[in-house]
Amino acid sequence: MNSLALIHQARPRKAGRAVVGVVLLAVLGALALAPWFTSFATQRLLVEIFTVFAMALAWNLLAGYGGLVVVGHQMFVGVGAYALFALSNRLGINPWIMLPLATAATALFALLSALPMFRLSGAHFAVGTWVLAEMLRILTLNNEWLGAGGGMPLEALASFDRWTRNAGVYWSALVTGVGALVIARLMLRGRLGLALMSVRDSEAAAAASGVSIQRAKLALWVIAGSITGLAGAVAYMNTLQVTPDATFSLNWSAAAIFIAVLGGIGTLEGPILGTILYFLLRESFSGYGSWYFIGLGSLAIATMVFAPGGAWSLVTRRWAIDPFGVRRDMPRR
Amino acid sequence: MQALIETIAGGLMLGALYALFGLGLSLSLGVMKMINIAHGDLIVLGAYLCSTVMQLLGIGPFVSLLAVIPMMFVIGYGLQRVLLNRVVGRGALSPLLLTFGLSIVLQNILQEVYTADTRSLQAGEFALQGFDLGGVSIGLLPLVSTVISVAIFAGTSWLIGHSHLGRQARAVADDPGTARLVGVNDRNFFALVTGFVLAVIALASVMYGIRTPFSPTAGPERLLYSFEAVVLGGLGNVWGTFVGGLIIGVAQLLGAKVSSGLGPFFGHLVFLVALLARPQGLFGKGSR
Repeated sequence: MNSLALIHQARPRKAGRAVVGVVLLAVLGALALAPWFTSFATQRLLVEIFTVFAMALAWNLLAGYGGLVVVGHQMFVGVGAYALFALSNRLGINPWIMLPLATAATALFALLSALPMFRLSGAHFAVGTWVLAEMLRILTLNNEWLGAGGGMPLEALASFDRWTRNAGVYWSALVTGVGALVIARLMLRGRLGLALMSVRDSEAAAAASGVSIQRAKLALWVIAGSITGLAGAVAYMNTLQVTPDATFSLNWSAAAIFIAVLGGIGTLEGPILGTILYFLLRESFSGYGSWYFIGLGSLAIATMVFAPGGAWSLVTRRWAIDPFGVRRDMPRR
Repeated sequence: MQALIETIAGGLMLGALYALFGLGLSLSLGVMKMINIAHGDLIVLGAYLCSTVMQLLGIGPFVSLLAVIPMMFVIGYGLQRVLLNRVVGRGALSPLLLTFGLSIVLQNILQEVYTADTRSLQAGEFALQGFDLGGVSIGLLPLVSTVISVAIFAGTSWLIGHSHLGRQARAVADDPGTARLVGVNDRNFFALVTGFVLAVIALASVMYGIRTPFSPTAGPERLLYSFEAVVLGGLGNVWGTFVGGLIIGVAQLLGAKVSSGLGPFFGHLVFLVALLARPQGLFGKGSR
């Protein structure tokens, strides 16, 4: 297949686009109406899926486009969730109004944390973020105001009836998941995405062309951190209780990493595919306890060894498709 | 004052153990340019292997090392040969994510085999003995583990500087391509290095297991302390890692004096502050 054929296949015709648009709208519409025809249990699972997807997408943006591998991704989850709970409880204000504030708090935290973290690079950066996440966990564990080891419940949610509460959290999660995807696509197709991809391909060439590497990475760091913080806040509106050990748990990072690795690092489709795979595996096998984790870990290892591009690379190896239009591969002759 | 000196002495001896944790990490980082996220879990694995050997043969923890050190060497050699060699040299991301998966697998295998209960290695009377040095009481076990740590560091430093293996290590660390050209079989060499790293881990894990009760999930914290020792000391400097370990140990015990729950927090804090002041580590060379 030559490069011209690739380009033709990658750009659907106008009619094709219209069909895709209608299908997407129908799916989104169905998802938006879900609270009226699904059970609470289904909605809660969907909240988990959308929020974990947003976290994995953010992790993948950092690792796949910024070269910023983060092992301590849970710090954003924790900061977002704790900011929401503390703000809403102390001020006694409706948590939905507080969601943007919690997101802003995470953005501020990301900005400050870049100060020490951006001193490190590569694998050192990766483990350094884990150290920072641990520090936050220990701090909240020892902070009476934040409820110490027992954490705190989201009090303001008690005044809503069950249906409103569930539907409200569900819609927040839907907006978070879809919004994260839209923001990621806009970012990658815009100036920042171009700068990041040029840095990823050759840092020296990017710098020589006038790309401010540190500024591009910082912008990505703050955007991805905010997305993760919002997702964390919504995820904990679902469970209604934050505790230091659960909220700052490495498990959040592990889920994001598994999803990105399984789906494909450095693509937008990867986290979508990865999230579907991850939740299929979890819903089918999590009953097996440690064996489930052994299997999941082995699967990630096998993926890294045999298909480092993840499941999405197996798809693109066979079919030349680019649904998000963000790939900028050089045409091969 | 007395108490302060005692805390600092305790911190130095704890730090010598952290340094020994970090030595392996420093070597694999220097030679293979990879961080093994499962490093801490391998320390815990070593401690569990010791406890199994001790139970089976009815021997003490130090004697059990005669069996555990060779076992860990073989595990390390095999791990590098079968798995890690496939991703070494592919950049920072691949080895990191692969060993992250390995860490999850190891933790859950330990959980499955040994349950989630905590264990410790019984060293009998020896673990409780101590003596008085000018009013400062010093435990025999921490002192012995410090002496062993210093000895291992001196030995490793000598190996790197003077032996044929050490020359290979320095050559591969500087330029793997050229080292291969002049006849270094880096696949096999990497496996030997990881074998050595795991043998050192075996030693460290016995001291750790006698000192602290451990559980299958104790690994990640060990990894973080090792990592801090290595980065604080600076890359490409074995004794730097030793000093880095000492600093983390003292910071943790002094921090625990301030507030009992905040020991590790102060260790992390000192690490971050030192990093802001000297990103290349205390003894690191100017640029990486």
